[in-house]
Formats: sequence, C-alpha cells, structure tokens
Amino acid sequence: MFELIMNVLLFGFLGFTFFTHVLEAKVPKSFLKNPYNLKPDMWPKVIIGLLMICLAINIYRIIKKNKGKEDFNFKALLASAKDFLKSKMFLGMLIIAFAAAIIETVGFVVTVFIVLFLYGMLLGERRIVRLLIISVVLALLLQIIFGGLLDVVLPRGTVPFLRNFALWMENLI
Amino acid sequence: MSMGQMLVSGIQAVFGGGQFFMVVLAIVLGTVFGALPGVSATMAVALGLTFTYTMEPIAAIVFLVAIYCSSITGGSITAILFKIPGVPSSAPTTFDGYPMAQRGEAGKALGVALFTSAIGGLIAAIVMFLLSQPLSKAALAFGQGDMFAITFLGLSILTVLDMDNILTTIISGLLGLFLACIGTDPMAGVTRLTFGVRQLMSGIEMIPVLIGLFAVTEVLKQTNKNKKIDVDKNMQNAKVDTKMPTFKEMWEIKWVMLRCSIVGTVVGILPGAGATIASFMCYTMENKLSKYPEKFGTGIIDGIAASETANNAATGGAMVPLLTLGIPGGNAAAVMVSALALKGVQMGPLLLKNQPEYLSATFVTMIITNILMVIVAIGIAKVFAKILSIPYSFLGPIILCLALIGSYSEGGSAGVVIMCIAGVFGIIVKSMHLNSAAIVLGLVLGGMCEGFFSRAYLMNKANVFKVLFGTPIAAVVMTACILMLLSPLYLPLIKKLTGKKN
Repeated sequence: MFELIMNVLLFGFLGFTFFTHVLEAKVPKSFLKNPYNLKPDMWPKVIIGLLMICLAINIYRIIKKNKGKEDFNFKALLASAKDFLKSKMFLGMLIIAFAAAIIETVGFVVTVFIVLFLYGMLLGERRIVRLLIISVVLALLLQIIFGGLLDVVLPRGTVPFLRNFALWMENLI
Repeated sequence: MSMGQMLVSGIQAVFGGGQFFMVVLAIVLGTVFGALPGVSATMAVALGLTFTYTMEPIAAIVFLVAIYCSSITGGSITAILFKIPGVPSSAPTTFDGYPMAQRGEAGKALGVALFTSAIGGLIAAIVMFLLSQPLSKAALAFGQGDMFAITFLGLSILTVLDMDNILTTIISGLLGLFLACIGTDPMAGVTRLTFGVRQLMSGIEMIPVLIGLFAVTEVLKQTNKNKKIDVDKNMQNAKVDTKMPTFKEMWEIKWVMLRCSIVGTVVGILPGAGATIASFMCYTMENKLSKYPEKFGTGIIDGIAASETANNAATGGAMVPLLTLGIPGGNAAAVMVSALALKGVQMGPLLLKNQPEYLSATFVTMIITNILMVIVAIGIAKVFAKILSIPYSFLGPIILCLALIGSYSEGGSAGVVIMCIAGVFGIIVKSMHLNSAAIVLGLVLGGMCEGFFSRAYLMNKANVFKVLFGTPIAAVVMTACILMLLSPLYLPLIKKLTGKKN
C-alpha cells in the first residue's frame, strides 16, 4: 500500500510541477530570438511526461498485483505506519536530523559526540561508560585528523566557548 | 607525451610529496571498508571523499582509485571466511570460497582470491592505459549527438541488466534525470524546479546526495537489523594464514584468469555495468566452460579465480569511460566524477589531451594498489576476526560521522541537510522498489545528457531525428538504446514464440 501511495503522490507532484514550476522566470528575449535553441522547459517537460506515463503504468501494475490481498488496505498501512514510528530506523532518522539542526550552532565536536553516543545506544550498546568514553575520544580524534591534519573546514559552532575550544583544537597541530 | 614520459609523470604523481603515504592509507582504508559487510565499494569511495577536500585533483583521483580497487578485493576476505560478501561483487566468491574455508583451506582460498584479484586488476590497468589515449583521441571527433547517444547508453544498459524490474529501473533513471534538471538552465540561465529554494538555484549538491544515498541509507537500513553479524564461531576464532597458490595451481587457472580479466574489463567499460555483473557473469561463464562444472560450488579455486579476477578487472574498465569521455561507468565512478567536478576539473575527451597525467597517475596507482593490496589484505585477514568483532553500534555511528564531515565540507550545513534528506529518500526509494543505482546515474548523467542534446539540437537546426540518428555512431548507439528500452515489449513475445516452437 505504501508503494502505491508513494507512486500516486509522486505522480501528483510531477503533474503539479509540470504546470507550475518547470520554468520559474521569463526566458530572455535574446535566447528566444534563435528558433533553434532548445527551450529551457522542453527537456524537463519531456522527462516529467515520460516519468508520469511510467508511473501511471506502475500504479496500474501495483493495483493489479495486490488486488484482493489482505494487507493491501489503509488499515494495514496505518498499522505499519505505527510500527515504523516506533522503529529504531525512525529514531535513527531523528538523530541524524537533530545533528543537522545543531551542527552549525554547537560545532563539530559536540555534534559528533551526540551522534556517536545516541546512535550507539540506539544500536544496542548498553555499556554506557565505555560508549561515553569512546564517543568523546572519537569526536576529538576526528576533529584533530580532519580539522587539524587534513585541513578540512569543520563547523566551529556559534556558542563562544565551543568556538574557542574548536579553534584551540585546530591550532594543536 | 610518450608512453615513457607518461609513466614517469604517473610515478611522480603517486610517489611525490608524501602522496605514497596517502596511497597506502587509501589501500588500508579500502581493504577494511570493503571487507566490512554493509560498506560497499561505492560507500567506501564516498567516505574516502572526506579525505580529499584539500588535495590537488590528481592526488584526489589517486586516493579514490586506490580505495576503489582495494575495497573490491577486501570484500573477498569476509566472503571466504564468513560467507558474507563484504561488497556485492564478492557474492560469487562465497560459492567456492566458503566451502574451502569449511574444509580448513581458508588460507589457500584467500591466497587464490588475492592473487587473482591482483592479476585481474593489473591486466585491466594495462588495458585501460593502452585503450584510453586512442579512445580519447577518437572521442575528440565525436559530435554532440554522438556524445548524447553514448551518455544515454549508460542509462539504457541499466534497464537490460535489471530485466526483472525494467519499469521501476526506467522510473528510477527518469527520476535521476528529473532531479538533474533542478537549478539554473545552462543555456538560457533561467531557474527551473527550485520552488523558490535559493540553495537549489545552482542545482542539487551531488556529493551530499551521494553520501546520503550510499552511507546514511545503509546505516539506517542496518539500524533495524541485528546489531551483530552472524558468523561461524569456528571461523571467528580460527587463525588465518594466507597461502599463495603454487605455480602448478596458477598454471591450472591461467585461462580462467585471462578470460575473466578480458570479460571483466569489457563489462567495466560498459556504462552502467560494473564489478558485480562482471563477477556473476564470469562465474557463470567459467562454470559452463569448465571440464568439471559439477565441482563448481563445492570449493574449487577456479570459482574463486573467476569471480575475483573479474570484479577487479571491472575496476580498471570503469575508469576508461570516465577518463576518455567524462562519463562514469558506475556508482563509484560517479562519485569520482563529482569529486573532480568539485575541484573544477573539466571532464571529457579534452581531459587526456590537455592533462595526460590523469591517465598516467591512475595507471600507476592501479598497478601499485593491486600489488600492495595483496600484502595489506594478508595482514588484515590475520586480524580480521578481531576487526569484524567491532560491534555495529560503533561502526554505524562512525560511518555517520564521516558522512557528516563529507557533506559539511562540500555544502556547509545545507549540505548536511541535503545528506539527511537523501538518506531518508534512499529508504523511500527502497520501499518503492526503485533502483538507487539508476537514480544516481540519471542524476550524474542528466546534466551532461541535456547539455549534449541541446547543443546537438541547435547545431542540427532543431531536427530531433538528425540529433538522434544524424551520424553513424549516434544512429548505431541510439538504435541499441531503443532496442534495450523496448525490450520489455518484445522480449516476452519472443519468449512466447520460441516457447511455443519448443
């Protein structure tokens, strides 16, 4: 059912895009003067058109294949959605999204520490002290290797003491 | 530049200025990444990108090529010892490698795998070196229509390779092409499909997307699985001493190695095909050609040799379209193209004409890597049971942290957001039974495809037929593409007809 819904949603989104967002600004007149220029909306429209045809066939195929099956209804979909929201994978997505949200503010070391610690716990690590120590050591090590040795630009954070700490770490090497 | 001069420049690129140390590091990283189940060769290359941001373009390609080649070899270690292919292309190695390990011949199986991997890689490197320059010169004469047809071929081949899911593969390829349209149109300078998001005006940032699709998606998938890899307890505790094959054994499999090197290289050259297809194809081919096919799958060195020679030969083959035409042959090559594009390198037929050192550096790296990885893999195999005992609760988060570094370095915090979205998108793609390899190829080739098409359209005065079939090369390649894309319509008919006759 999820596959069907995603295909239908994609079909609808592409239909909306086809009519509204393929071109978002006026094409310069100088460009249109040459009749042999490929109009900027032509290529995306052909791709979207073909994609919609294929999706329509796929939607028909999915319905035909699953018609009459017990789990091919909204009730089963809701049940699996509930399971998904309780799953480790969903929590994993939340941890990664959280990391993306805080990385600029708290900087690299703290973000990496949080990811290592929380994701480690999510994956079943129960030796908390060991995980805590390893997370701190790895966060510092990654900062030294990439920020110091390899000169990769890493976020220092906007919180003053974290920023100063990151600068101090970078200057260590 | 003569062959000798090219070799000298290649050696200078690999051995100069501490680069050799980075190559050794890449080989160790690649072998370990390749051997770890859940880390594919493409993911290894994507994670390797993190190390290349401050490198010169040639140093970056040297580093990534070393990771790519060694990760393919690394995959054979777990395939033999634990029946878990470290990379998908090592799957056929399990058929004969694991039965040998169970018989107590793990060391011999590993030795054969490493030796034949090196042979396959070396032959492919030589073929790549000899083939690339003439092909690149020939490609200079290609028109825009020809280039469009060749680029399009890469997408079309994918549909034939995944015959059971042709429709979803076509949808995936088109979805990749659609995503590639996002941003500013290269000819008219008009924004398309950005929905007002400023960050999308320059198009989708390729590196965070690739890292998200290959690294984050994989970690998310593993999150729902068992945290420990189920391995044979006897093998985990066993001490493995790799034994190189004797001269007699090598002589017995000489034709297997030669055939699989050639087939593997050719498959690698084909855009869209790669090491996995090469290894399965060669294993099946050798099974059919063998004088004792009944022994395949029971633990014979021919089976290991077929799979391992082919998948390593494919790595050399994959570099040919990348260096000569600027077209990635597969996902790992797509990551390399993105890395070079990031450094401002103009990929295409002119690359080797203006900067032949890219070819020489790649060639020397492949030679060095294929020799050194044997030594590194022997060492790693000895301690591999210990490496494998690292719980995924440490490995998974480390992969995520490397992914964070890679995405941030390329696109700042927006890059990290794109990586997250791509990671979740990868999960949705999987649940929709779409082909993520086709999406990536579509995304990477999309810009090139449109660019070649629009220029050919202009040159041929808006005559689409002339664009597609105007030159002999374009006509032949486009006909092949059409036949491949229409195969779901006529192949069942052919099967039906031949079935009725039988």
